[in-house]
Amino acid sequence: MLPTHPQSVSRACDPSPVIGFAVLMAHSFQRHWRVRQMGWVAFGLLGLVVTVVAVVTASRAGWDLPDRRVSRTRITYREYAEQLLPSERYFVRDYHDDISTNLAPQAPWERPAPLTPTRDAIQNLLLTIPYVVLQSEPFLRGWGYMLFSKWIMLRVYLGFVLPLFTLAYASAAIGAEREARSLIWLMTRPLPRWAIYLAKFLGTLPWCLAFGLGGFAALCLSGGEYGRWALAMYWPAAVAATIAFSAVFHLVGAVFSRPIVVGVVYVFFFEFLVALLPGSLKLLSLTFYARSLMYNAAAAAGYPVSRLDVAEPVSSATAWAVLGAATVGLTLVGMWLFARSEYRDDV
Amino acid sequence: MPPADTSLAANAPSGAEGARRAPLPSPTAAPPPTPDPPLLLFEQVSKWYGTVLALNQVTLELTGGITGLVGANGAGKSTLLRMANGQLKPTLGRVTIRGLDAWDWRARRRVGYCPDLDAFYEDLSGRQFVWTLARLCGYTRAEATERTERVLERVGMRERANRTLRGYSKGMRQRIKLAQALLHDPELLILDEPLSGIDPIGRQELLELFQQLASQGKCLLISSHELEALEKLTNHVAIMARGRIAAVGTLRQIRDLLEDYPLSVRIDVDQPRELARAVLALAEVQAVSLASGDTPGLVVQARHPKRFFQAFGRLVVEQHVEVHRVEPLDESAHAILGYLLGGSGRT
Repeated sequence: MLPTHPQSVSRACDPSPVIGFAVLMAHSFQRHWRVRQMGWVAFGLLGLVVTVVAVVTASRAGWDLPDRRVSRTRITYREYAEQLLPSERYFVRDYHDDISTNLAPQAPWERPAPLTPTRDAIQNLLLTIPYVVLQSEPFLRGWGYMLFSKWIMLRVYLGFVLPLFTLAYASAAIGAEREARSLIWLMTRPLPRWAIYLAKFLGTLPWCLAFGLGGFAALCLSGGEYGRWALAMYWPAAVAATIAFSAVFHLVGAVFSRPIVVGVVYVFFFEFLVALLPGSLKLLSLTFYARSLMYNAAAAAGYPVSRLDVAEPVSSATAWAVLGAATVGLTLVGMWLFARSEYRDDV
Repeated sequence: MPPADTSLAANAPSGAEGARRAPLPSPTAAPPPTPDPPLLLFEQVSKWYGTVLALNQVTLELTGGITGLVGANGAGKSTLLRMANGQLKPTLGRVTIRGLDAWDWRARRRVGYCPDLDAFYEDLSGRQFVWTLARLCGYTRAEATERTERVLERVGMRERANRTLRGYSKGMRQRIKLAQALLHDPELLILDEPLSGIDPIGRQELLELFQQLASQGKCLLISSHELEALEKLTNHVAIMARGRIAAVGTLRQIRDLLEDYPLSVRIDVDQPRELARAVLALAEVQAVSLASGDTPGLVVQARHPKRFFQAFGRLVVEQHVEVHRVEPLDESAHAILGYLLGGSGRT
């Protein structure tokens, strides 16, 4: 026999939606400590990329120009520049021994012309330029840093590491509840639906920031000195991009029943490809604005940003405004949609 | 058994229960206070899922007591319950809780919902789960703890609530679901298949709990396939078929309305043949047969049960017939459902 309770539970203390909202934020944060399948995929890719970056950084050539090999040859730029000096050019070579002596074949315009002194003087002057340039510390540092920035920060990090981490965590805020059919427990609480959406977003955002920026830090720290520069210079762009992507994927998780599939398609066909396209279509991608922020930060520090291959970047103010507006706008749209949507995942 | 205070569905057979008539106001008296809006009111509610009509112009009003909701699979029971709980919006019509739109989050303060689904946060213990949902309702820690302990005791789970949910039996999970529905002391409890998977002893305990809750003034709307259990709990049912409420009221009232289906009544007497001759003379009687079994008696099939019983009573008095037992054979929920749904009555 059940115990009898003639008095019903007291109504003296009315529930507070503010407390409910705060508890839901904390609840959402706690429920996300586990790394889900997509999180492991992102971790795996990050581990792979970090390893590659670390190997490149530790290699003799590293990210710098002098010890990189010239295309389709076995000699480095440093060796090639030295080879263009008069002392090397006047060295009598057996062209059949080019491979064994590790020298590049001499092009016709590189060959000495002692019988035409004027031409030879000009030729010597011009062909000395590469060697002189390779002696310039600012040039070499700028070149190496831009190479690292272009491939690791703009392409790898903004291209897929950050989108995958935010997709894994932000889309699961509501998507995982739908998948586990436990959303009903939240939807039956006396809380406005828009507040449920917002609380889930705010509760998940710390994880998105932790993993998004953690991936950023891991990539930077594996990149040696250039990585440390990138960490100090690009972190604001990384933060802005992480929050904006989180807003996108939180919305995707609330709207689509298969958010991971939709998110991956969005990342690779929209953020990765469209952001690289010239023309105005790239203005629709969030990555473009994050790239613009990085571009402007590097330009302000005096680096040769033309090597970053960012087509028609917008100003930093515009990029901040667009990323901020996208975050707020997408969150508001999500709150509006969520407040109007019926969820029948348990049916 | 607490009587259910329920007015008729507009699309149900009329006369099952009379509408309450308000007293005429005295010209000198102060205007009477405005009565509370009904606890749950469906007004001409229809719901489409794409091209499928799930609910068809349903009108239903509940103000108290226990109402059983029965019907075949796909009849629209779950849709109706989820609309009452604000999880679904009507395509047409309106659902209100004490005058508030059921979709409004404030309406959920008055409603406790025990869903049919079996999805929890499996890593939590029963106590943690209920406490978390109490906190999500917006209660302080102390209040949530107090309410959690009360409802756990109420459903008989206080001693067993520290085990993780994934180790619970079906019956224990049902009790936890019921506990969370009681947390905020709602006026209206919507229970979707609450007896499913519960052993006979547990079922009896829950039936007693439902009766206690009803006796405390709560309104219970219970959907169940367990017609025998529902009959023990309440004789007030709403029968759904093909998205409509086919009938609502007490089983007797509904049975009386089924004039096309003659009522079968077994009458045990010492001289059944003599009584059969006399009974056949009554206008309401359609057929008479001798009852099988050890006890002598007859089975009468009569239309207009109320008029038949009046006429039969007069007959018994006039002819001094000694009647040992009178038992309607098809007044059970099964039989009525069978007549209404045109089948066996299986739900």
